[in-house]
Amino acid sequence: MDDYTVGVLTNIGLISFIALSAYLLILAGEMSFGQQGFFGVGAYVAGVATAMYGIPLPVAAAMAMGAGAAAAFLVGLPTLRLRGLYFAMATLAAAEMLRIVFELIHFQREIEGDPVGPDGTQGFRGIRWVFENGVEPEGYLAMVWGLLFGVMVLFLLVERSKLGTTLRMVGEDPELARMLGVHVERFKLGVVAAAGALAALGGALYAHHNTYIEPRNFDIMLGVHSLAYALIGGLGTAFGPLLGVLVDIGVLEGSRVFQGYRMIVFGGLVAILLVFRPRGLLDEKVVHWLKARFISS
Amino acid sequence: MIFDLIQNTFDGLAMGASYALLAVGFTLVFGVLRRVNLSYGPAIMFGCYSATWVSLSFHSNVFSLLGITVLGSVLAGTYVERLCFAPHRQGSAIAAMVASFALWMQFEEVVTLVMPKHLYDFPPMFDGESLAFGPLSLRVEALVMLACALSICYALHRMLFRSRFGLAVRAVIDAPVAAQLAGINVPRILLLVFLLASAIGGLAGWLIVSTHTQVTPMLGMWSTLKGLLAMMIGGLGSLPGAVIGGLALGVLEAHSQWFLGPQARDLIAYLLLFVLLAWRPRWMTTQSAS
Amino acid sequence: MSALLEIRELVTAYGKIEALKGVSLDVEQGSITCLLGPNGAGKTTLMMTIAGILRPRSGSIRFAGKEIAGRPPHAIVAGGAALVPENRLVFPNMTVLENLHAGAYQRRDDEIEPDMEKSFRRFPRLKERSNQNAGTLSGGEQQMLVVARALMSRPKLLLMDEPSLGLAPLVVEEIFRIIVQLHQDGVSIFLVEQNAHMALKVAQHFYLMEQGKVSFSGTPGALAEDEVIRRAYLGSAKA
Repeated sequence: MDDYTVGVLTNIGLISFIALSAYLLILAGEMSFGQQGFFGVGAYVAGVATAMYGIPLPVAAAMAMGAGAAAAFLVGLPTLRLRGLYFAMATLAAAEMLRIVFELIHFQREIEGDPVGPDGTQGFRGIRWVFENGVEPEGYLAMVWGLLFGVMVLFLLVERSKLGTTLRMVGEDPELARMLGVHVERFKLGVVAAAGALAALGGALYAHHNTYIEPRNFDIMLGVHSLAYALIGGLGTAFGPLLGVLVDIGVLEGSRVFQGYRMIVFGGLVAILLVFRPRGLLDEKVVHWLKARFISS
Repeated sequence: MIFDLIQNTFDGLAMGASYALLAVGFTLVFGVLRRVNLSYGPAIMFGCYSATWVSLSFHSNVFSLLGITVLGSVLAGTYVERLCFAPHRQGSAIAAMVASFALWMQFEEVVTLVMPKHLYDFPPMFDGESLAFGPLSLRVEALVMLACALSICYALHRMLFRSRFGLAVRAVIDAPVAAQLAGINVPRILLLVFLLASAIGGLAGWLIVSTHTQVTPMLGMWSTLKGLLAMMIGGLGSLPGAVIGGLALGVLEAHSQWFLGPQARDLIAYLLLFVLLAWRPRWMTTQSAS
Repeated sequence: MSALLEIRELVTAYGKIEALKGVSLDVEQGSITCLLGPNGAGKTTLMMTIAGILRPRSGSIRFAGKEIAGRPPHAIVAGGAALVPENRLVFPNMTVLENLHAGAYQRRDDEIEPDMEKSFRRFPRLKERSNQNAGTLSGGEQQMLVVARALMSRPKLLLMDEPSLGLAPLVVEEIFRIIVQLHQDGVSIFLVEQNAHMALKVAQHFYLMEQGKVSFSGTPGALAEDEVIRRAYLGSAKA
């Protein structure tokens, strides 16, 4: 497999983390324009940990997830009581604030004679833990997809469980959930934190794949894109967001035919698709049908 | 120091006037359709780029370019309304918004394909004249912006409360089903409001690019963000609120930038929005916004 | 001679659930026709379908000889049928005057002001409150307002969905007095009511609707009143 393909496939995997994070929140009935902020938090925290303090990647990734969950928790705490659009705007504001904070952070250490660390708008170079530890691109690809696979398994398990039913109920009919004894606010806060951790994990992996990150990477475009992937791919299953990412990055990147027209084609297709399938390709009805057909009892 | 404050306030009000117009457009769409149009800024950008293209190909008067900008914005707005909002009128707000985001991507790419340079010149509204009041200076453009913002608001108010169309708009906002039963063609009203918002946006766009004398592809996202911020700071869904929010945002930014620099300027604006949302009174939490 | 409103095999569904399972009925020109039935029978769904708010899945609605099924609400009003909806849908943040003007929205003639005067003569309490916001009116006043608003479009057929719901007995009497008055003025009325007793006093013809279909059609007196009332509130006994 050539480097280009490996790169594209890895990218698909990385972006899937943030798409899944947006999807998780949609299931809980919330629309977030801010997951890119937590993606960024994960990237910076993991980068600082490995590049500046020599902490191994797995530990750094865990720290990143913790930071992402904490940041999301802090954002969600005062804002979850807001309805729909207001919550979305609050998450947007929070993510932009985080991005500006990244622009303002100048925090570097001398490692072997060179300054290493986030340097405001100049970004953060030298996140080379992966190369310094001899991980080949294919190996990293396998690791990213391995983790993603693990996350998907978790999602699928949750979807079949009582937790999953509660999640969808909180999303579709919170009053009903409340009546059945679910503490909706606390539950949603938990979901927000989990989504933050998930996005942060993606960010951590992203930072180590690119070896260089800058605040611009974590702007609104990324956030709205992830929301779009979740919606286009379909809200019926965790494979939905994955499909959304695959379609955009994979098909259109891979087939050079649309070079230069990629967004015109993709944008038009998305808008038209949504007219007919407002809940995405793999929406609840399709998933039901697929399950009935292939997993017959 | 006091003169700095006053000068900043003037400059802030001028910028704020364009934010106010952007916010008014957003508010019209949100108030009536209960949706946020993420392609609002991009459609305006399309209008500005159309005018830029015309100005490069033909010798044109900057004021006739106003007509082109508005026309371009309205055409783009029609496209957005038909594809993103009309089909989802009774359906999901997320789908409409994501669709409008998809069209945003389209607009950006179309514009950069046809006019690939990162920056284009736009003819200035006036030739850099400034009025001087002692140590303070006020650009003529600033006065024009303020005058436009105020006149549009006045005109909208009269339209809403003194015209048949305005009655229909208020009826749709107040009780959409009742409006249908009263014989109001609600889909047509929604389209017309959308076009009106696009036209106002086009005016705002022209004011901005003829003041800064340049056009960039970032204009799309920038206008959307500023319009959204101003609308939310001033109170979602209220026209006077949109104007106040816009002016307040302009003044806040001018002062923050002067004392603390450009990043602080944006940070403070977002922080203000976040704080307002997080600790805002009941009307933001009990009114369903989706 | 065909009836003013002819409904045949009308089916309206919400997703998989059919609320109207093939409704057929006629409303004769110049009559007060009443539709009774228990909650959930589909009466409001029927009214909303005729008014164009809901689209039927199949079937036909002919009004004054023209097919109107599936047409948008503003076209139905243009054709001369106006609905006074359940739950008194006023425009709460608009004044009484503005509410009435909204009702006349489609009209471009110059008799709107005289018609408003006529409304105020018919509903004197509205005149007192003409500059008040409709949301501040009492239940009875709001009901009058919605009727007056519907009348501003000069409809040939007035559809009324439970006008007496939630109103005090004296107010209910007033509403029915107005219904009779309108009938005398030549307006055809199709009335959905829970208050079977009052409805049967004014109607020339009535239908019973249960579970999405018409279960009985006749003139008041064709069934013993207590039988009608029983079926209107409880539905027919199932074996």
